[in-house]
Amino acid sequence: MAASWNEAELMAVLLSREVRDGEISACGALSMIPAAGLLLAQATHAPNAELIILSSPFMPFRTSRQFHYLAQRGDLGLFFVSGVQIDRHGNYNLHVLGDPDRPKVRFPGGYGGGMIYYAARRTVVFRTEHTPRSLVERVDFISAAGHTPPEVLRHGHPSKVVTPMATLRFDLEAGLLRLESVHPPHTVAEVVERTGFDLGDVSAVGPTPAPTEAELATLRGPVRARMIETGTYADWAEATLGAGLAA
Amino acid sequence: MGIPYVPVLGLAGTDLLARRDDMKLLPDPFHPERQTVVAQALRPDVALFHGLRADRAGNVCFGYESDNVLLAEASRTVIVTVEEVVDTLPPEDRAGTFMPGILVDAVVEVRYGAHPAGAPGAYPHDDEHLTWYAEQARSDEAFAEYLRQTVFDLPDHAAYVARFVPEGWGQRGQLRLQAAGD
Repeated sequence: MAASWNEAELMAVLLSREVRDGEISACGALSMIPAAGLLLAQATHAPNAELIILSSPFMPFRTSRQFHYLAQRGDLGLFFVSGVQIDRHGNYNLHVLGDPDRPKVRFPGGYGGGMIYYAARRTVVFRTEHTPRSLVERVDFISAAGHTPPEVLRHGHPSKVVTPMATLRFDLEAGLLRLESVHPPHTVAEVVERTGFDLGDVSAVGPTPAPTEAELATLRGPVRARMIETGTYADWAEATLGAGLAA
Repeated sequence: MGIPYVPVLGLAGTDLLARRDDMKLLPDPFHPERQTVVAQALRPDVALFHGLRADRAGNVCFGYESDNVLLAEASRTVIVTVEEVVDTLPPEDRAGTFMPGILVDAVVEVRYGAHPAGAPGAYPHDDEHLTWYAEQARSDEAFAEYLRQTVFDLPDHAAYVARFVPEGWGQRGQLRLQAAGD
């Protein structure tokens, strides 16, 4: 069966399912897909979720420092973050590609993420590219570490990585990312090939439950409208949600 | 701030921590079974800011929320350029980030002093110029050329404005504050 949603819609739906009712959930700057996912969750299964979308009207604080304090207190249930590279140990890189002393490319860095990855109860990493260069054996620079010794103070860990092809789950005990499910029409073999590290035993991995009619209708209707009327990535919502359906 | 170091939640296991000697992972003195990063305090000799407006007492209004005051509190000398200097800041200028004059050593009126970055409340980022800057920054030679054209070959800031700031850039006349939080 041909998919009747685009990649951004699929990822927004999958991210929305990570939001728990009654928790505080947040995403950072330049996070259109998580912003849509947060609003979708609130409009469906998590009506009592409190949302924080930085650089939008869904930002209750005057400075990001106040948001950081909330996370440091352990009050942030879920954070969505993106990284240029993510490795099998759940480390992510938002600093540089190549030799850190002579980088090929420099990215914004990890000012917030280097704390929030440890402070949020759960962090879901989203990446719109699933390739051997984005999912790597070892990141070029660890901006935030997936796993730390037990004596290090931290409130939470990475929980999942969501890409357009698959969902990976962080196995806290092993400190490793495992393949949780694959989004049809992609196959396990394809995901294994396009992942730059060993995913281990994938024999029991099944398909990701597809977006439901209700999820898609809410995303394309009320969520899209709310993003436009509140000026929350309005141009992106208008152009993306309900448009350009994949063949 | 005047304190020797601060505890930091996070950063353990990162290359940032591994590559810097001004941050260390140490036992919490109150809960020795726990470890946190501590970062040595920065004590800059000089901090430079660009604000929206200042008055003759050195009070500065930035027109947006930021943590600038923290940096000023940590620095030995504070110099602020502003879009305009007035006799006394009006009370509404205390919205947003407000830097009291007691922290400020010098104020310099430099219209378009933030260009090609933006000055919230006065003018936006100049995307065209920043795109050029980003291209020039890709190699040392190109960047030297950028500096030659925008800094070294120009007699003063007025020449820079005439050459690089688009005609009528930002709001004309009276500067206005943006809403808090913008």
